[in-house]
Amino acid sequence: MSIRVEHLTHIYNKGLTYETKALDDVSFEIEEGAFAGIIGHTGSGKSTLIQHFNGILKPESGRIWVGGTEITEKGIKMTEIRKRVGLVFQYPEYQLFEETVAKDIAFGPMKMGLSEEEIDKRVRDAMELVMLDYDVYAERSPFELSGGQKRRVAIAGVLAMKPSVLILDEPTAGLDPKAHHEILDMLEKLHELDGCTVILVSHNMEDMAEIADTIIVMDHGKVVLQGTPREVYGQRELLTDIGLEAPAAMQFTKILEEKGISLQESVMTMDETAEAILRLLRK
Amino acid sequence: MLKDITLGQYYPGDSVIHRMDPRFKIIATLLYIVALFIMVNFTSYIFTVTFLVVVVALSKVPLKFILRGMKPIFIILILTFLLNLFLTRGGDNLFSIGFLSITTQGLRSAVFLATRLILLITASSILTYTTKPIMLTDGIESLLKPFKVIGVPAHELAMMMSIALRFIPTLMEETDRIMKAQMARGADFETGNLITRARGLVPILIPLFIGSLRRADELAMAMEARCYQGGEGRTRLHSLKYSYLDLIGAIAIAALLAVLIVQRFWFA
Repeated sequence: MSIRVEHLTHIYNKGLTYETKALDDVSFEIEEGAFAGIIGHTGSGKSTLIQHFNGILKPESGRIWVGGTEITEKGIKMTEIRKRVGLVFQYPEYQLFEETVAKDIAFGPMKMGLSEEEIDKRVRDAMELVMLDYDVYAERSPFELSGGQKRRVAIAGVLAMKPSVLILDEPTAGLDPKAHHEILDMLEKLHELDGCTVILVSHNMEDMAEIADTIIVMDHGKVVLQGTPREVYGQRELLTDIGLEAPAAMQFTKILEEKGISLQESVMTMDETAEAILRLLRK
Repeated sequence: MLKDITLGQYYPGDSVIHRMDPRFKIIATLLYIVALFIMVNFTSYIFTVTFLVVVVALSKVPLKFILRGMKPIFIILILTFLLNLFLTRGGDNLFSIGFLSITTQGLRSAVFLATRLILLITASSILTYTTKPIMLTDGIESLLKPFKVIGVPAHELAMMMSIALRFIPTLMEETDRIMKAQMARGADFETGNLITRARGLVPILIPLFIGSLRRADELAMAMEARCYQGGEGRTRLHSLKYSYLDLIGAIAIAALLAVLIVQRFWFA
């Protein structure tokens, strides 16, 4: 499903001296099946924005479409929207509450009113997707797992609902590099297999360069840039202005250029850079 | 949702009330509450109401904010009002249906009691609206110090209070986040009967409890890492000092008390 937002504005603590405009006239569209990235600084409005996509936050003004449905219209059942738009919050492991991993993952599907066999199947599928062995972990308490495993259980809890749009808010925050890559690999795999729209919120420019096919850059509640990673990272000055850094690989090529070595192609990831340097050396 | 609870919150500002010493504000609030219980006649009410109106105006806390803080006790207020209105006997009969009747005495005590409750709550919320929680506990600690000789653990009590206060916003935020996360997974907290709703709270309460325990553990460790070992010999960054503002305030509250005592014993 696609997501379209028009003139979205959200204000926290409206009417008090400390009211803040978290979103200011935001408009954009994310196409069906896209792997979109939303980047921006802490406090740029990323998390506020995504909480509008399944109606957890209500906008001050503006309209939001999920697929063909305008969810800002009156009388829309939010529980229906939430079945189709899965949202994984920051540090989702803190939301676990059931006695066993399987029961916790089954919470969403159960609330959807699915049959028991279907729930069981979905729990198994979701656990496989997040690479947790069903036979080993299903009956264990989620509280005795490691941080990275808990995170995966929490993500599986949302995956089990089989959403058409999957939104993840900093899903790799606080994880070690190995767990970090496992989560990103899992997202890529999921995106390829299911073809669902994935929206990833992060401030890690490297990840975005590798994984996203469209990027939205936010600053102070506004969308300042939208485009492919190549287009977005091309605007190096603008990114520096709002306090974001281009991926390390791009910074490296810039230093090379300053020293008089031009790779003569635009690269974004470490792998691309390595190959470009190799080609240059072979010439 | 939870952000609507303003009772007991701090309202940032720099008014004369904000700048008063917390120790004075605590004592003044206590004295004002005493004042509310010694007032007897209409004149006393005029004095106490005017006094608080002036304080509220000086504090520059918006009326809207204060009224919002009143919301949670609104039902109690209405109930007290109605019970007093209908059940007090005495004076002339004003109105009656069946066994219910309103007398002048009933009307009088209902209005007076409701006013007294409103004043009580407004006065104590003005204290918290204009005093940072940290200052408040510093004030309490300082006021309790003399009682140490009879074994009151002043510092520990104050520390417990500041930790508790410190974690109220954190817990609210956490509750809000967990609620949203469970809502995103299809939990519904707004419909269903009492039992389904109560059971719906489990997915919020368990993560909240576990989070609190984890946090308490981390806090204890962080405090020990910074060599915390109780109040003995601890100095503070901001020591409390009385200023001329507190003197003016003290005169005002003393004058109010004097008026009320005169009213009670000579005019009532």
